[in-house]
Formats: sequence, C-alpha cells, structure tokens
Amino acid sequence: MTRKYEAVYVFDSTLEDAAITDKLGRFHGLLGNPGDLEVNHWGRRQLAYPIGRRESGYYAVAKFTIDATTLPEYERAIKLDEGVVRHLITLYENELGAPPMSEEELAAANRRRDQDDDEDEE
Amino acid sequence: MRRPQKACPFCETRVHFVDYKDDRTLGRFITDHGKILPSRLSGTCSRHQRQLATAIKRARYLAIIPYTRGLQP
Repeated sequence: MTRKYEAVYVFDSTLEDAAITDKLGRFHGLLGNPGDLEVNHWGRRQLAYPIGRRESGYYAVAKFTIDATTLPEYERAIKLDEGVVRHLITLYENELGAPPMSEEELAAANRRRDQDDDEDEE
Repeated sequence: MRRPQKACPFCETRVHFVDYKDDRTLGRFITDHGKILPSRLSGTCSRHQRQLATAIKRARYLAIIPYTRGLQP
C-alpha cells in the first residue's frame, strides 16, 4: 500500500551543498525515485540546542509517495550516513484524520461551548 | 465560578494539522522554560492540544525548538 511520507533531514552544516545534494540523490534513489518527489531546502540554520559540537545544521524536507516495504532499506542508509545529524520520517499528515470543520459545524461547536458555560454559571 | 472557555486558536484560524516544522507557531505554545503550555492557559481544544504536544516533541527532536531554555546550570 502506498502512502505519502514526509522526511526531514538535518545534515552536518560543514558539508558542502554539492555533497548534500549528492546524499539526497542517493537516499531518494533507494526509494526508486518516486514520481511526486518534492524536496524543499531550508538551508543552514541555527540548532535550538547544540548536538555534539555542532551549533548549526542544514535542513532539507522531502515529500514522497511510496510503498512502505521500501522504507527500511532507505532508513538504514540514512542511519549509517555520518553526515546526517538527525532525521525524521513521518506520514504526511494531511492525508490522515477527520476533514476540517465546515462553517456550520464550527458554529454548532461554538454554540455547544456557550451553552456549557451558561450551565456552569447557574 | 469557572471562567468562560477561551476559543481554540487553531480552530479559529482553521488549522487542520499542527505543523511540527513551524517554529513560530509552536513558540507561542511553550513557556519561557520550554515546557508545553497547558490547554487551560492557551485555550486549545483537546484535539489540537494532542496534535500540538506531538508536534512540539517532534520539533524538539529536530532541534527546531529547544527542550529547555532559560535554565543555565
């Protein structure tokens, strides 16, 4: 079954841009270069806390739709790569959960809340 | 007497999913020490509070927001 995933990579900021693009290419190659692959480079930014001796990291976010069976090999490659400081692979959430509340539903929820408040005051 | 309930800031802006990559939004829901702000104070509804807690924990792991701050040893 295919699902949409989102992966965030934090690379060592001392790596050159070409090396990072190269690594990303290799990781996504392991996924079989999915058709809807979308990579967003945030670039170098300050880490909120030092990781080892690193004060900054290179962030990249990728979105892709793949079959779950290809994930373990891909994740193993990321884990073994020393240039990747942190990584997180999550299901792309927009496909999950209940649909957003419509105007009427929101109004109904507000009414219910107001009623609850009134009851407390009595 | 209980205070009237605040409106959930995420429902008000029609946020469907709390994004763990959005440090500016998450920053509004953590205390000066970096703890998750309780829904009692922020007015967040339970669905969004659960999403927010997960988002904050993910963002902490990725060093987007700190685990702690303002506590110098």
